[in-house]
Amino acid sequence: MDASTVLARWLLGAAFLYMGLSKALHPVDFLKLLRQYDIVQSSLLLNSMAAALPWFEVFCGLLLLLGIAVRGTALTMMVMLVPFTGVVLHRALQLKSALAIPFCAVKFDCGCGTGEEFICRKLLENFLLLLLSVWLLLGRGRQLSLRFNLFKSSPQ
Amino acid sequence: MKDNSIQSGVPTRSLAIRQIFWEAVIVAAIGAAFAFTANMISPLGLALTRNYFPSGVARSVRPVAGDGLLSAAGTNSEALSPAQFLAAQMKEKGLQVMDGSQTAQLFHNPRFQSNLIVFIDARDEEHYRQGHIPGAYEFDPYHPEKYFDTVLPVCQKAEQIVVYCNGGDCDDSESAALLLRDVGISNQKLFVYAGGITEWMTNSLPVEIGARNSGNLRNMNK
Repeated sequence: MDASTVLARWLLGAAFLYMGLSKALHPVDFLKLLRQYDIVQSSLLLNSMAAALPWFEVFCGLLLLLGIAVRGTALTMMVMLVPFTGVVLHRALQLKSALAIPFCAVKFDCGCGTGEEFICRKLLENFLLLLLSVWLLLGRGRQLSLRFNLFKSSPQ
Repeated sequence: MKDNSIQSGVPTRSLAIRQIFWEAVIVAAIGAAFAFTANMISPLGLALTRNYFPSGVARSVRPVAGDGLLSAAGTNSEALSPAQFLAAQMKEKGLQVMDGSQTAQLFHNPRFQSNLIVFIDARDEEHYRQGHIPGAYEFDPYHPEKYFDTVLPVCQKAEQIVVYCNGGDCDDSESAALLLRDVGISNQKLFVYAGGITEWMTNSLPVEIGARNSGNLRNMNK
């Protein structure tokens, strides 16, 4: 058994489970942080995003830990991670120019569930999560999975 | 042989990609249903149709170093500190802003003892219990229904109401003041202490730990 790939799947699942739960348990804090990005102007949309995203992450984290629909979940995570990273990067650039400090000295709570962090570290974390997602998407981490493919006839 | 494997490999790969795509769609659909259901069941869940920000969903407050709050408007308000910027915004909405010395004067005014001057803490329960202006009423604007029964009668009788939160670029005090105004509290007696609890503690004024009137007072930064 390739232990490293299973560990990678568990690591990614655990990371999403932790980040999701830390937000789901403090939904108002997450709502306020999400508001800072000014990405939506409608309170219904903002509330929906703040209400659903944390639990969606918990769901994806659980699927990965259990090994269910692993590649589809990895793809879903990538689809979430890429725009989130873009929004966080955009915000960091705004802070950098507003505060006139070096890029890596920018520190803020991006609402990612990990509290206040330096931007370079945050970007590195997201890059690693993205890399793990790509790895799983390529069909790794198949061992100890409850149902790696949802479709029985999936090509290996 | 070689040609056959190439020909059969292309549709296999294409099928795999299609299946991963549909798997992702199914995960996303079930995940969304799970997420909204969990939010609905959770006692901490958000009400989707409530406007949690009566001062406006769009945020236009500039950042504080290390605080991490910024919006696009943040870059063109260089002359103002976050608190000044927020104070200007509140004035625009017709709210009266109070500074630290005015707030301290009201705190020491004898009318405070007879509830004619009332302090309202617009932070969450956890922060309130960690330390609030002595005698201040708790009123978290994100869960107003929990506090209206206690706070409304007091505010109706009061002559002056001072609402505060953390200070800096915190606008929860603004939200709380607007909520109180919306339920009929006269704008004339509503004041927002823009410096908030941070400035209060910096000025070495007393804070009360735990519940209101717990008697557990501390002077900060002394």
